[in-house]
Amino acid sequence: MSKCHHQWEMTNVKYGFVTFDKCFRNNAIKTNFSSTDTPGEEYREGDCIFIRVENAQSFTFDLHCTVCNRLESFKELMGLLQCTDCLPECPVEVLQKEYAIKNTWIFVAFGYLPEANTKPIPDHKLDILTVYFNQRRDTSRSKIKIVPFNLIQNLSRCKGEFIHDVGMLSAEPPPQERKPLL
Amino acid sequence: MTTKELIEKLGLKPLSKFEHREIKGIFISDMVSDVMTGAKSGNLWLTIQTHKSIVSTANLADLSAIIITSGKNVPQETIDLASKYNIAVLSSSAPTYELAIKLHDLGLDKG
Repeated sequence: MSKCHHQWEMTNVKYGFVTFDKCFRNNAIKTNFSSTDTPGEEYREGDCIFIRVENAQSFTFDLHCTVCNRLESFKELMGLLQCTDCLPECPVEVLQKEYAIKNTWIFVAFGYLPEANTKPIPDHKLDILTVYFNQRRDTSRSKIKIVPFNLIQNLSRCKGEFIHDVGMLSAEPPPQERKPLL
Repeated sequence: MTTKELIEKLGLKPLSKFEHREIKGIFISDMVSDVMTGAKSGNLWLTIQTHKSIVSTANLADLSAIIITSGKNVPQETIDLASKYNIAVLSSSAPTYELAIKLHDLGLDKG
């Protein structure tokens, strides 16, 4: 086992779009990373007819250890979400309340759907992400903890705040009403 | 320079509730993905974006403050979220370029 005290840096950064596709027949959701923005695209997969309902500008990256040269891929990471206390009994919110006392903020790591439902991002990668973001900050003030998205009690009711660029071409303020995540 | 000193020197308007802290450099961008990849801990972030995502981004990147430039209206939801997470959201009527020059003149530069 490596004894390296890894010092991580972001590498292989690629900018693009996280696309959210929905089948209105059975409410199936698919998310992908695409290098192009193609709103309204429609395609068929089996019995599902998926329509692109939203794009959000985002990026993919890997983490590289500057000490031992280890490269950790995060191609399965779709994005990070911050809990906004919308579901009091949700395990993520319960965890956030517990960690807030220690000035630690919880962020949820999402994988691409539907694959992430059965193959979530491995815990060791979430630990590496946690270490990386804490290495980037003044941890005497606050810390970060990354948790898996399958902790979210009810994804269809979650109103957590995704970190992504939305409405980049709109000069209007975002709507007041927060929509559920999916 | 601290956020307190900066507010006084530039007449910035604090919108959220937060603890003052030392500023370490400036980062200018209107895309959170850009901030996530390039900003450093303690950076002062200048942007015209007002979506709630900026709060989560500033939190994750450990930024000292966000200055919303050009007098953009910041939704109350964004302000409330920022107060909850002790993130400084400040407002300036000056355009980003003009503010960047003022910050440079104060000795603040790219972090």
